[in-house]
Amino acid sequence: MSRELSVKAIVIQGLSILLLCAIIEILAGNVFEGMKEHLTIMLPGLVLAIPPLLDLRGNINGALASRLGTALNTGVIEPKLSMSAELKVNIISSIILSFLASATIGLLSVGVGALFGITSISVLRIVTIAIVAGVVSGVILAAITVVVSIFAYVRGWDPDNVTAPLMATVGDFLTMLSIFLVAVLVV
Amino acid sequence: MAVYSLRRILWESYPTLVLCAAISLSAGLILDSQMESIKVFPLILAMVPPINGINNNVCSILGARLASALHMGTVEPKLGKQKVLRKNTRATWLMSIGVFWFTSAIFFVMALITGMGLARSIMLMFAFFAASMVAIAVTMLCTIGLAFLSYAKGLDPDNVVIPIVTSVGDVVGVTCLIISIKIVMRV
Repeated sequence: MSRELSVKAIVIQGLSILLLCAIIEILAGNVFEGMKEHLTIMLPGLVLAIPPLLDLRGNINGALASRLGTALNTGVIEPKLSMSAELKVNIISSIILSFLASATIGLLSVGVGALFGITSISVLRIVTIAIVAGVVSGVILAAITVVVSIFAYVRGWDPDNVTAPLMATVGDFLTMLSIFLVAVLVV
Repeated sequence: MAVYSLRRILWESYPTLVLCAAISLSAGLILDSQMESIKVFPLILAMVPPINGINNNVCSILGARLASALHMGTVEPKLGKQKVLRKNTRATWLMSIGVFWFTSAIFFVMALITGMGLARSIMLMFAFFAASMVAIAVTMLCTIGLAFLSYAKGLDPDNVVIPIVTSVGDVVGVTCLIISIKIVMRV
């Protein structure tokens, strides 16, 4: 079986999803810009935690999407919206990971900030912002990932090329929004 | 028998996530060190999620494709005489040019609408596009290198390449963006 690899096919499939992602990323960017007062004046030091938090969301949900894609392809999970034991383990683990890793990011950013002599808000506030934003966006994203993965499987989309990038991008936007909302509440 | 174990997912994912968070934190540090420029030119913040998000998406797709190709044996972990690798790289380039051109054009319109003036809006568009092209070139090289290295070391590229590449991509993206904006926009 040798299917000829077509550059054109990859580009057309990839570009359509990437252009959609680009628009969502620009929205995320606008939220980030909207936080400029918070980042520069009210919550110094918070900016350190933002790239890792965005990255974390993409990693956790990218992994969730690719595990679900594999599980659907191998028949471990059936393509319907009922809570099987396998689905539950996947979702719960992604939420526990969000909690643990967000807390770690909060602590790390305060530690590294202190090391570089960056004036920062208290450990408690940064860790709270990280955990609340991480878990809130994690729960919403896990639900969306499950629905999109099943939908994508039924439609025959490739999880590698479609679901993972889409979820990473929606994750960036929702995480940015959660960080913004939590930061506004904390101030 | 359960296919997924909560413990195993947590145990295998947490260390990678923390390593990636630590790498991404450098992107946060770079942003923090540029707070003065960001105060003057907050559009830098608006450009961070798009350049990082799209760069990560494009390279994740390449990483996933290379991982599958290495497993199937259509790509070997070396650089010369590789038709499939060449096609994948070319497709990735074309996709990047397409999606970043589109994103740059949106920033041009945004800048124009917010009253930046035609000349500066064109410069901004150019700055973003130049930064994204350099960032994507560096991140793509990292993706190919990491995919080969992890495969040669007997690690599954699927589990290693994408998380690490997205973190490295964050640092590369933020660095290129800030250098380019500073040179072109003189902030």
